[in-house]
Amino acid sequence: MQEFLEFTLGGISFGMIYAAIGLSLVLIWRGTRILNYAQGAMAMFTTYIALIVINHTGNYWAGFFVALAAGLVLGAVCERVVRPAEGKAPLNAVLVTIGLLILLEGLAGIIYGGQFRSFPAAFSITGLHIGGTALGIAWNDVFVAGAVLAAALALAVLFRYTPVGLRMRATAFNSGVASLLGVRVGRMLTLGWALAGLIGALAGVLVTPNTFLYPNSMDSIFVLGFTAAVIGGLDSPAGAVVGGLILGILLNYVSGYLGSDLVPIFGLAALVVVLMLRPSGLFGATATRQV
Amino acid sequence: MTLLRHLGAAIVLAVILGLLSVALNAFRDYQMAQVALYAVAIAGLTVLVGLSGQISIGNGAFMAVGAYAAALLLMHLAWPLAAVLAASAAIAALAGLAVGVAAARLRGPYLAGVTLMLAVALPSLATRFTGVFGGDQGLAVNISTPPAFLGTNFPLTRWQAWISCAAALIVLVLLANLGRSRIGRSWRAVRDDETAAALAGLNVAALRVLAFVVSAACAGLAGALLGITTTLVSPGSFTVTLSITLLAGAVLGGLGSLAGAVWGSLIIVLVPTYVTDVATSHGLSSSVAANIPIAAYGVVLIAVILLFPDGIQGLVRRLLGPAVPVGKRRENGPVSTPRRPAPASEHSEEGAP
Amino acid sequence: MAELPDAVGEPAAAEAPTLAVEDLTAGYGGVIALRGVSLSMGQGAITAVLGANGAGKTTLLRAISGLVRVRRGAVRLDGTDVTRRRPDDLARAGIAHVPEGQGVITELTVEENLRLGALCASGRTSRADRSAALAQAYEQFPALAARRRKPAATLSGGERQMLVIARALLARPRLLLLDEPSLGLAPKIINQVMTLIAGLRQSTGLTILLVEQNARSALTIADQGIVLAVGKIVATADAATLASDTGLLRHYLGL
Repeated sequence: MQEFLEFTLGGISFGMIYAAIGLSLVLIWRGTRILNYAQGAMAMFTTYIALIVINHTGNYWAGFFVALAAGLVLGAVCERVVRPAEGKAPLNAVLVTIGLLILLEGLAGIIYGGQFRSFPAAFSITGLHIGGTALGIAWNDVFVAGAVLAAALALAVLFRYTPVGLRMRATAFNSGVASLLGVRVGRMLTLGWALAGLIGALAGVLVTPNTFLYPNSMDSIFVLGFTAAVIGGLDSPAGAVVGGLILGILLNYVSGYLGSDLVPIFGLAALVVVLMLRPSGLFGATATRQV
Repeated sequence: MTLLRHLGAAIVLAVILGLLSVALNAFRDYQMAQVALYAVAIAGLTVLVGLSGQISIGNGAFMAVGAYAAALLLMHLAWPLAAVLAASAAIAALAGLAVGVAAARLRGPYLAGVTLMLAVALPSLATRFTGVFGGDQGLAVNISTPPAFLGTNFPLTRWQAWISCAAALIVLVLLANLGRSRIGRSWRAVRDDETAAALAGLNVAALRVLAFVVSAACAGLAGALLGITTTLVSPGSFTVTLSITLLAGAVLGGLGSLAGAVWGSLIIVLVPTYVTDVATSHGLSSSVAANIPIAAYGVVLIAVILLFPDGIQGLVRRLLGPAVPVGKRRENGPVSTPRRPAPASEHSEEGAP
Repeated sequence: MAELPDAVGEPAAAEAPTLAVEDLTAGYGGVIALRGVSLSMGQGAITAVLGANGAGKTTLLRAISGLVRVRRGAVRLDGTDVTRRRPDDLARAGIAHVPEGQGVITELTVEENLRLGALCASGRTSRADRSAALAQAYEQFPALAARRRKPAATLSGGERQMLVIARALLARPRLLLLDEPSLGLAPKIINQVMTLIAGLRQSTGLTILLVEQNARSALTIADQGIVLAVGKIVATADAATLASDTGLLRHYLGL
């Protein structure tokens, strides 16, 4: 019972990371029908930038916020690169974002080298206890969950209650009509990618203390974040968060009870099972072209 | 007849390659073997992606299946080499069947995501079941020595090059025929408009699964050859980067084109070695140098998709004109599916009134 | 250059017409859908654009609003050349295009659709201004007020047409382009919509270019009509003359 509690709470922390990646994927998918395979690599890259700032200034938060800003910029830049592929055959966008993925990983390897580097956590990582019971989480995990939740809520507020959020949603749902209503569609798309870059950067600095930093460090996190988004349905931001939590907790049980090297296989199984039941994700819109 | 023409070309190529392998030194022979086996893997992938329109970022996993199958067969059973290769391809084909069936209803990013997850998850099996698969160290591959009738001083590398090239030529001939057959036409129909194909009576699901099986078999064969030429199979050789590199090779060569598969293979085998050599000779560390080709693939992949959707083979065809065979030029990029309306940007044009 | 038909409406000869289309040629890919079309409208004019399917009516509107690339010719709004500008640019400059099929963003609520229109108006930047404008719109369209928080997908055909017109008006345009507002609507609703459109000129002095298959309804509210066939203007006259020319209507519109 004690173990179960620990695994559940511990799973929330990772789950929020998957949720964050999933959320950034949904942000881009809704507006452009493009899945950004480079999302994880972008987060890895901004985490390297954070590390450099931290090493230079000795200040964790300086690195943290520079990473977020870098995420905004990198997201916007990547959107310009991918833009010519928007609206063409889906395979083109897949290949361009994969190209971005390996470009970023290669660049990271060239600039920073391939060795594993450690990355500091924001807060204490010693396990918390209530009374005599170990909770299986630390203050840092609480921070991780809180930060992602805060970011998700901020996004929700942005979309629901601000003019720019309304314009972004209009662009995502019907860009042709939106442009007739004076919305600068290109700018909205860039903004969407920039915000996705920001959330991805956040996920990167939050998870890297656990994984160490190296050019491929975000590969499996990305894949699980993608799984979270798919489970929730690629059109649903709330779905990505829920999917991430479910996946995080589930995989933590696997890791705890069965061994951590079985996590990727179970992740694959979860993805396949969900997609076989609902080819467009749990909350996704079903396509109506079946014959 | 198409088959005869393909066989004839294959025989001519076989002779040329054979002579080449004698003229080149051992390292070049090794490279020739690499080019041949990657051509097999990329050919299978280009059929899957280019002809049947399904994205896979996980064919590296099928290579791993074939490689480990070959290693285990050679370790535990004393089968002749040809049987081992065939069996490895068959086992990988079974894996392809499983994946194809599971993914039969998936499209676009969902399918790609599943294959990506496969590429990440499968190698971890090796570390889980260390007893069977040798964990991170991997398994050594018992390679056979060249058969006696070739003479006692026949270099091992030349033998390996011969095996790989023979396998590659056989596979390319088979795939070329498959591409021109009714199945190939059916694949293209499914790729271009799935609903129309279904309405025309094609069994879309079966065709999609078949494409997966074929590409997995090719990848498995390539994996087995990789094990044989490098004498080692370990999880580290089959990372996500491998799957992406295969895809990059297919795209760079020209999707859907078998000649393009060879171009792609030449690129992914020769470029890294060349670039690393140049980089280290300029004093860059080896880890930095090893990453330059990767970054370069990224740039080139992006550039090719945005500027040259038909890859190198497309470029060759444009330069040499209609004498060079292959598929139709596709307007929208590597895969010509119906265009979805673009977001209204600079000067967009929507459909006819 | 071909003679421009006489401008109808208010302005003195020295003022630029609200809309001037000069020898416009436009198309899609390899197909030219509009050939050398010219027309001119003063403020407050309502012109009906008639013609069979494929005649180029929708292309004309799209060429004016920037959705379709103009090959040759010019479009001027209040004398300013606006040819080849981007659609969002033109929307902010005062051209409101209500596309065929209405263009309701069904995933958003009624109020959100309207708010988008209000956001488009140039010179109106404060939230209070926009809220006031929305309140005014609700007064004018009570049916929309009743459903303001509902998803726009739940509106009927006639209500959707109201919504997109109200949305377009909130942008305070100079020129309103309406593409087949009567499409898919019941006859009684068509009457309501047409009455509404006619009333707009009274209340706002808006200049309206109206594409319609339903020639009879359109000609009852328009001042002038032009008939397109195969991308060219084949007839221009005031509405009454056109409406009574049954031979012409039958020939070009199959009525």
